[in-house]
Amino acid sequence: MKRALRLSPGARPVWTPSRRLVLRGLLGGLAVSVALPPLLSLSSRRARAADDGFPLRFGLFTWGNGNLPDRWVPEGEGEGDAWSLSDQLRGLAAVKPDVAVITGLSCKVPNVVPHGSGNAGMLSGLPLDQSTGEDTFAGPSIDQIIAAEIGQDTLYQSILTAASNVSGSSYNGPFSRNPPDTDPYTLYERLFGATFREPGEEGLVDPTLGLRRSALDAVMGDIAALNARVGSEDKLRLEQHLDGVRQLETRLARLEEDPPSLESCARPATPALSYPDVDGRPQVSARSRVMADLLAMALACDQTRVFGHTISDPVSDLLFDGASAGHHDLTHNESGDQPEVHNITVQIIDELGALIEALRAVPEGDATLLDHCVVLACSEVSLGRTHSLDDMPIVLAGSCGGALKTDLHLRPTGQESTNRLHLSVMRALGIPAVSFGEDDGYAEDGLSALEV
Amino acid sequence: MRLLIPLLSLSCAEPPPTTTPPVVRGDAPAVAAPAPTLRRLTSTQLHNSLRDLFGDELALPTSLEPDEESAGLRSVGAAVTSISPRGVEQYEAAAFFVADQVMAEGALRDAWVPCEPVATADDACAGLALSGLGERLWRRPLTESELSVLVSLSSEAASTLGDFYAGLSYGLAAMLQSPYFLYRVELGQEDEDGARRFMGYELASRLSFFLWNTAPDAALLEAAAAGELETEAGRLAQIDRMLADDRARQGVRDLFTEIYHLYELDDLSKDPNIFEHMSAQVGPSAREETLLGVEYLTFEAQADMRDLFTTRRTFLDRTLAAIYGVPAPAREGFAETMLPADGPRRGLLGQVSTLALHAHAVSTSVTRRGLFVREVLLCQEMPQPPADVDTSIPEATEDAPTMRERVERHLTDPACAGCHAMTDPIGLGLEQFDGIGRFRTAENGATIDPSGELDGAAFTDALGLGAALAAHPAATSCLVETVYTYAWGHAPDDAEDPTVDWFLEGFTLTEHRLLALLRDIAASEAFRAAGELQ
Repeated sequence: MKRALRLSPGARPVWTPSRRLVLRGLLGGLAVSVALPPLLSLSSRRARAADDGFPLRFGLFTWGNGNLPDRWVPEGEGEGDAWSLSDQLRGLAAVKPDVAVITGLSCKVPNVVPHGSGNAGMLSGLPLDQSTGEDTFAGPSIDQIIAAEIGQDTLYQSILTAASNVSGSSYNGPFSRNPPDTDPYTLYERLFGATFREPGEEGLVDPTLGLRRSALDAVMGDIAALNARVGSEDKLRLEQHLDGVRQLETRLARLEEDPPSLESCARPATPALSYPDVDGRPQVSARSRVMADLLAMALACDQTRVFGHTISDPVSDLLFDGASAGHHDLTHNESGDQPEVHNITVQIIDELGALIEALRAVPEGDATLLDHCVVLACSEVSLGRTHSLDDMPIVLAGSCGGALKTDLHLRPTGQESTNRLHLSVMRALGIPAVSFGEDDGYAEDGLSALEV
Repeated sequence: MRLLIPLLSLSCAEPPPTTTPPVVRGDAPAVAAPAPTLRRLTSTQLHNSLRDLFGDELALPTSLEPDEESAGLRSVGAAVTSISPRGVEQYEAAAFFVADQVMAEGALRDAWVPCEPVATADDACAGLALSGLGERLWRRPLTESELSVLVSLSSEAASTLGDFYAGLSYGLAAMLQSPYFLYRVELGQEDEDGARRFMGYELASRLSFFLWNTAPDAALLEAAAAGELETEAGRLAQIDRMLADDRARQGVRDLFTEIYHLYELDDLSKDPNIFEHMSAQVGPSAREETLLGVEYLTFEAQADMRDLFTTRRTFLDRTLAAIYGVPAPAREGFAETMLPADGPRRGLLGQVSTLALHAHAVSTSVTRRGLFVREVLLCQEMPQPPADVDTSIPEATEDAPTMRERVERHLTDPACAGCHAMTDPIGLGLEQFDGIGRFRTAENGATIDPSGELDGAAFTDALGLGAALAAHPAATSCLVETVYTYAWGHAPDDAEDPTVDWFLEGFTLTEHRLLALLRDIAASEAFRAAGELQ
């Protein structure tokens, strides 16, 4: 498997044992100080914490079928009053001080499969892998690249959600996709169900947690034994399976620890049991908003530091409110300046605005949860009608602990690679990224105009 | 979910015997077996396996790692995808969901725990129960060390929880999360003649999933243990037994559900303001119609499978009868129906499953319907459209009222016509059926012209298109190739083509009867040949 990301070899920090290992005395003879402040002891091996001690988080917001660049690009460039929101971005009005709109970037991969090439290029930094005759990502997507770096010390390495029934585009590698939760109630049960503990409560005292780990030990033994007998491709598949088992085992162990003491963490309201289609149309907005609230609380409770939220997949033919046909259908077949496509893009950006507001509504110290986040919002094409990979639609939200500028419209000239943006994002999160992407899209420099 | 729908019309007639004579033809080509790979159980296989063992009363886990398609089939996707962290989480929850039901006081527990525990932690009794469960769930006997791990886990849990059966549920749950349950481990071994083959339990599993889409039953495992599958007579005895069993119907239904992507009908999206017949029932009903038709042709009629494209016989419930404008069945559920001889609708291309699935939410799609015929029914690979062209279809006007005029540019602009000339004329042949499958003769006040040509065979309407498809040589070779792909979990490469051709020859000689093809493949040397591990 390829990886778009190259890390600085010397920058790998010394491994710090997790608080659980220390407390359980599992470190044998190692002399370890346990006199760490609570947040630092929970913070990742690699990720930078914000100056105020809160962890930094990453969110990915994606939607299918792009935008209408003519009505997307904001007027004016620069910070503050120097720019104003465009027609398509008006759903961000309430959060303008907290967002950066980056236009003019190109997704530099060969555009051979409509939507598919741009999706792989935008999210993995690599061209679509067609080597087996079936299209897949050549390497992990940006959410999983980041989760591998900053997601190790929370209950979940990442939480993936979607507001419609999608397959999602979160990959661990070729043919290894992470399906999102599409049902708000299932997501709630997973994050805030029986095992959830609010700050101040003690860890779960439940003998079944240990027994479930014993069962997983047996499973890991089976995977190892089987791994010795299979071919090389299967070994990779079993490794990925094993990685998931390890993550689950770690999570079960962490449930026995006391929950992190984060002031804003509280059990959120229970969502509706189901969100049935209304008039043949899925309730995208209702689902997205309840998921945004759950995601915000999952971050506030430090259950995860990485999330992905998808409105729709590439080529989605979702029937949006007020649209006379499916989204993808309209991008190709609506004539003129495509008012219906415009209206759909506006609806999607409204959901992005709602997500950003949900993050901003959670106080953390003297700042907000959003201030400790960077959310990357993007799609797999710009103009859907032509599957263009130039002038890609990109919005960032949150300053990532003050590392990134906000209230900014940045429009680099010269068709810079979207991979430069990924570098800036990763570096803001404290990941020692040296380069990202390959060939035409290869990038070593971030977007300095974006960085503080 | 066929068990939920009473097969009123089918249960009355006694089906003819399902044994088919062996095919007489030249020697099989040299075996070119692909490298064996692990195949994850599809969610259907997982459900089938659990239901076979634990019966209909067991509530099945519904939240599982989603299946992915590769080469158009979930069976192939199952051979290339892995299990995600979220999937691991779901399989763990599913394992305990099942184990807790099996180990709750009641008939299931009595059936699977064949001893009375003498203590809270009773290794002997736990071992007896787990070895019985293990043989069925892992589709082979457990080794001593595998069993001892599960027994000590169960006893540890029993001691901790103070209950023998609660402890046993941990052993069972571990078994259900194990790769030996979640993957089909068919790797092959060296036979006495030096060739690599699937033998014994591996072959049992391979046969069972191919013909039944579920795990082997006790009789098949016994035959495997006795070495019967290593003799031709032993194999044929099992294959014929399996094809005569009701689970062969489940196997054929699951096969065609995969081939035609009928699972997508669960999420059928149609604008109810445009299609007044749209309801949540349309998708599931449409799927059942197609599957009952396939089942009838395969088992009751043992007919030429090409009849699928031309038959007037179908199976309708009230939902579908309303869409088709034919008299509704007298009772709830499905009834066998002969569509009117002078009607516009026959065979698969006239079914809602085809017409609605391969259309837009608000309209038809001549391209999607054409693609379905080209790619799925004729196995013709169509290139992706170029990424940088405008593929829009102009809106209807007075001069261009029907889709035929509107897609004119697709068929004349050289940038489009290369592919659209392959797909759109087929779709135009189905334009008398709207986006949900209702018959119509006019669009925007103009008469729809459904005539066209399929690879040299002219047709005047959908009936003619169905007949042209039935007569198309690629329609039969495609079915054979697809069944091969399904059975192997892998699309045949050049080296395997002669084997596929050999099966095609047999299929033709047996007048395109599906049972004969399934038997021919299952009994072949190719089916038990394993490639080298790579």
